[in-house]
Amino acid sequence: MECPVPNCQQREPTALGRKLSRLRPWLQTGFLGIWLAPVGRWLHGIPGCVFHCYSCPLSAFACPVGVAANYAALLPVVGEVPYLLMGLLLLVGAVSGSLVCGWACPFGFLQDLLGKISPRKISLPGWVGYTRYVVLVGLVLLLPMVLGFKGIPFERQAVSICRLCPAGALEAGVPYSVQSVLAGKGWVMSWFKTGILLSFIAAALFIHRPWCRIFCPLGGFLSLFNRFSLFHLRFNPKECVECNLCRSRCSMGVKVDQAVNVSGCIRCLECTTCGAIEPCFALPKKDSQQAPENPA
Amino acid sequence: MKRIPQPPVNPAMRALERHDFWPGFIVVLIGGVLAFGGARHLTGVDTVDGSTAWEIQLVKAFSSGGLQYASQLAPPSPPKLEDPAAEAEALDRWAKQQANATPPKWKVRVDTDAKTPCPT
Repeated sequence: MECPVPNCQQREPTALGRKLSRLRPWLQTGFLGIWLAPVGRWLHGIPGCVFHCYSCPLSAFACPVGVAANYAALLPVVGEVPYLLMGLLLLVGAVSGSLVCGWACPFGFLQDLLGKISPRKISLPGWVGYTRYVVLVGLVLLLPMVLGFKGIPFERQAVSICRLCPAGALEAGVPYSVQSVLAGKGWVMSWFKTGILLSFIAAALFIHRPWCRIFCPLGGFLSLFNRFSLFHLRFNPKECVECNLCRSRCSMGVKVDQAVNVSGCIRCLECTTCGAIEPCFALPKKDSQQAPENPA
Repeated sequence: MKRIPQPPVNPAMRALERHDFWPGFIVVLIGGVLAFGGARHLTGVDTVDGSTAWEIQLVKAFSSGGLQYASQLAPPSPPKLEDPAAEAEALDRWAKQQANATPPKWKVRVDTDAKTPCPT
């Protein structure tokens, strides 16, 4: 199909964009040293800000989604409020929005790596991102709470986010099952969960970040902050030559040419390669210093 | 790199998407206060040794299978006796003790020493 944009092939990626693009996998690898810290379980009392199973033998922090689901199940019994979890997520979300999804999340990094295996990708419509909120409200909050009202503890609930989570299957189910097989006791992870894991891996080969785009409740929550977070992406109309590079670089299917601080964005910053989208940090300014909304 | 086709854009019509400082800053402050308060928050849940659990201990209990529910506690098993003649009397005494036993005052408590690797 011929692109209707005349400058489409003329613009080359900017130096900043190229640098960020090269830096990102290294930073993602570096963050693994934090989430997979061999200090082990002693920080499990603190929820992390990325999607990483707390049952993983090497996980350093507690999974925020698992903690939220546990609190929801506990609500009918003791009515506790997760102040620490809420505070940390508000803090991270308000500072950076979904930047951690693109640069720090180990499960997102894994999907990035799996996505490199196959160059062919299936594009998804934008509305699939709303299923993340269905998972967040239904599976993480309401279902554990309803079953908690029936007196079923979270650990014994037959259907829960932890029993369906591919990250839990990969990071906890596989290590413990391998350990069990080596001890001669067989595969301990249920075949249903093993099937979920295999389906997820197959999907990640042909869909860019399928978990993040369709199911991730944490990414859905953090992306709500994208519209007002301190770190954000700004459009510079003087630099825009309508080259189409920003939208072409976005593997998440965001219509960057229309708006970039939206809920589908993981802030991988690939769109900054065009030069017209700039990463910046909101700072307090006097009214006289503020530029008009769009000088062009 | 392959460029995807898109409709022509009009940069002059597009919003700059500049974010104001104060909404984000206020949420950062709220988050900071909640996180600091949560780290020092004593929950309404007891621990096995009788003290009150910190929020951090409660969160840790989620990942280590450290929550004990009173409704899920198994009753003590009946006594094992060597003398079969006294068995009926001892079992009767044990059953009466169980019937008169008062339920625990706590609904759920935290075992800070629990180390179940994968609770679910």
